[in-house]
Amino acid sequence: MTQAVLDDPPLRHAAGRRRWLAPGTGLKLVVLGLLALLIVMPLLSTVLFTLTEESRGAWGDVLAGRLSRALFWQPLLNTLVIGVVVSVACVLLGGFLAWLVVMTDIPFRRTIGVMATLPFMIPSFASALAWGSLFRNGRLGGRVGWLEGMGFSVPDWLAWGMVPTLVVLSLHYFSLAFTIIAAALATVSSDLVEAAQIAGARGRRILMGIVLPVVTPALVAAGSLCFAGAVSNFATPALLGLPVRMQTLATRLYGMISVGQTARGYVIGILLVLISAAVLWAANRAVSGRRSYATITGKGGRAKRFALGRARLPLLLVAALILACATVVPVIVLFASSLAPSSAALFSNWTVHYWIGESNPAIAQGIPGIVHNPDILRAITVTLTLGVAVAGAGMALGLLAAYATARSRAGWLSATITQVSFLPLLVPGIAFGAAYIAWAGAPIGPFPALYGTFLLLVIAGTAYLVPFSVQTGRAVIQQVSGELDESARLTGAGLARRLWAITVPLAVRGLAAGGILIFVKIIRDLSLVVLLFTPTMPVMSVLAYRYASEGFTQFANAITCVILVLSVAATLLAERLQARSQPWLKS
Amino acid sequence: MRQPTIAALLALLAAAPALAQDIDAMSPEELLPLAQEEGQVVVYSFTSRIARVEQAFEEAYPGIDLIGYDISSTEQIARLQAEAAAGTVNADVVYISDAPVAVPALVETGILVNYVPPRVADRLPDEAKAPLLSNRLSTKVLMYNEEAHPDGSPVTNLWQLTRPEWRGRVLMVDPLQRGDYLDLMTEIVLRSDEMAEAYEAEFGEPIDLGDAPDAGTRFIEDLFANDVILVSSTDDVNAAVGALGQENPPVGFTSYSDRRDNEDEGWALQVANDVEPANGIIFPAVLGIAANAPHPHAARLLIDFMMGDDSETGGPGYAPFYVAGDYATRTDIVPHPDAVPLDEFRAWRIDPVATAAIRGEVGDLILTLQ
Repeated sequence: MTQAVLDDPPLRHAAGRRRWLAPGTGLKLVVLGLLALLIVMPLLSTVLFTLTEESRGAWGDVLAGRLSRALFWQPLLNTLVIGVVVSVACVLLGGFLAWLVVMTDIPFRRTIGVMATLPFMIPSFASALAWGSLFRNGRLGGRVGWLEGMGFSVPDWLAWGMVPTLVVLSLHYFSLAFTIIAAALATVSSDLVEAAQIAGARGRRILMGIVLPVVTPALVAAGSLCFAGAVSNFATPALLGLPVRMQTLATRLYGMISVGQTARGYVIGILLVLISAAVLWAANRAVSGRRSYATITGKGGRAKRFALGRARLPLLLVAALILACATVVPVIVLFASSLAPSSAALFSNWTVHYWIGESNPAIAQGIPGIVHNPDILRAITVTLTLGVAVAGAGMALGLLAAYATARSRAGWLSATITQVSFLPLLVPGIAFGAAYIAWAGAPIGPFPALYGTFLLLVIAGTAYLVPFSVQTGRAVIQQVSGELDESARLTGAGLARRLWAITVPLAVRGLAAGGILIFVKIIRDLSLVVLLFTPTMPVMSVLAYRYASEGFTQFANAITCVILVLSVAATLLAERLQARSQPWLKS
Repeated sequence: MRQPTIAALLALLAAAPALAQDIDAMSPEELLPLAQEEGQVVVYSFTSRIARVEQAFEEAYPGIDLIGYDISSTEQIARLQAEAAAGTVNADVVYISDAPVAVPALVETGILVNYVPPRVADRLPDEAKAPLLSNRLSTKVLMYNEEAHPDGSPVTNLWQLTRPEWRGRVLMVDPLQRGDYLDLMTEIVLRSDEMAEAYEAEFGEPIDLGDAPDAGTRFIEDLFANDVILVSSTDDVNAAVGALGQENPPVGFTSYSDRRDNEDEGWALQVANDVEPANGIIFPAVLGIAANAPHPHAARLLIDFMMGDDSETGGPGYAPFYVAGDYATRTDIVPHPDAVPLDEFRAWRIDPVATAAIRGEVGDLILTLQ
């Protein structure tokens, strides 16, 4: 500390990197320790568990022998099909819409741009529920969906299993691809495009020769992130796949752990992490140098938009169709089916019983409407508290990590912090949940076990979202001029004082916006919490999932509507706070 | 403020050893004030009927809040083990159906303790008192749609379920998700001799086992090959089999007692009793108290309550279970008038020890068939 103060500030910029390390190292070690505790330890304890004497057999069961096909290979095949098809579909859909919005003169560009980001706010299990409300057929007997109710016959392949899973996941993850690709398209240099135009190149030539090479890294990044998301998605295959016995690695993992075959579950989880990590690593390597997945970096100059000419209207219709399927229809169906006693007649006999009714033994085994249902009310409280706690903890950690690394990125410590903070991106939510059970299922040293506590949910949620919080923190820190911090440092202000008096006030809007986005991510998450959930600590998404799997779809849909409204409202608030320019929307 | 607290603490300390010895012998009247002081009792229950128990219990004993969680037996076991490993106790009372697993996993490990209310101890057969108290027998048996089949069950032999006309029309809950259904599959394997006889009765020739080690395994393989539909809860089975207005409804394995919901839910569920060699299984629903339960008196009071009062139908505490298809263990509770009498009921009575011995293997078998 003292030595740093004695340093001549102007010199420090030029030559002082190495001397800088001394004061920063302590903080970096603290951050690294926290990250290791939150991320590395849980993952490590899962691996260690499967290596113990009595669990070691699980590796053999899963990978070889007569059970391996059912436990691993068949689910693996399904998982890979889902990953590949969904990522390709997402890049095509997202890329198409991003191209329309950023590069062409399509009408309603702003609306399309906003609508294309909405599906990611709808929890994927909500879309799966909506699919069931529409397409559910008589395979299970009993209730059918709206289409069959209208007299259409829905074949099994369209009602259950792989096809609906692919459609639902593609319509969910394409908005992730859209965001990444749109941001990349917005950086296509106008000089290059204009130069080509002056040289007489046509649209196709410009697309293939200039635009595609520039956005290829973004396409690869988008595809690989959609792949990682799709292979780890739990709710959609769980809700749509079981009646035709379709299993993915994520549903197998959940099944094994929920029946107490923990070791087999962990092995499947580890393999799922490895697959996801391998794909992301390969993609990252293919486009090495372009590490920032989701940051939107604007560029001033804008190329002249392609005139679509006569294709304008047809293309607009295609875009509208995609967005209607991905956003409008699921939301309408969800809302309608929270009011309709029978999903076969979605738009008739509406009742608000499922929202505000008192317990009535004749309806849904006496489950009261959600405003009178103590379980649901408790879940809402727990979920909101969880959202706020994770957002707070996440932003604190993100700020700390970003602060520790932002001013001096060199050195193995900074590199390690960055690497470790991105690790959760490679870990599917459900596997991360499993890791936390392995880690927190028993007392750790002098501390009591965290299993079943609220604190565990907060810690796991915070750890799982570290990539996002660190990234947000970094963006925020970079907005705050380093000179202010240095001046304060010269006057002898300590780290806490400087953070509290300078960085935080200046960055508070960005921090709040980042916090809200983390809040949204955690309240609609199912895959992380589905294993960590305990009955005494209910959260909304798990409750909705349970109601859905027990056949009380109206309650499931009503809860999902609440999550949806909260997510959208919070996201809009964050956008406003951030006043983030969406470069592709500017004309 | 301070002195009374210390005094109370001392009184409690003095009472503690006596308490530990006597708590199991206390009458409901002695338990009540202490239970009211605790104010709460938390239950993990494998049946949704805990909601009705809650209502009745809170009416009978105001001031004690019953918090009931409807959790499948399989998940209860996984949770209770995880909680025990973590050193936390969330539930006071555990109401669970999966005795073959619950006894080795929860009782022998000391996670649960047995409690037999002294009030009813002399009116229970021995097998209902240990290793865990049982208040009733529950079932997983073949049910059909009475409206579509007014003349009786369309199925009279389990092997018919492997015939083409039942392809994709037999439902059950995934045996890997619900232990009761794994017990049913296990019992079929244990009863392989009877299954072989029933095969011959159905098809007129001795069974060809193929690669299967026994007739029960062969049946399970054939059933899965015939596209048996797996769902995630018994309510899915009930709705599918029972819903009114179906022309060609499926059949399914579910709880006989779910027939009680026919009127409320618009179902026409009926039990198929005349089925060779049996229509399913009948097994005890057991009650236990968590070791170190946070509300020990309220827990005991609740179990006493759930065993029923001294009237011949068991009164409000037993009312949720006094339905056709559940068989009370108490010898003085009269059988439900609408139910098939227990001695005429065709279901196999499971043997928890034999079941526990091969259950894992049957589970692995199901895994390969899925």
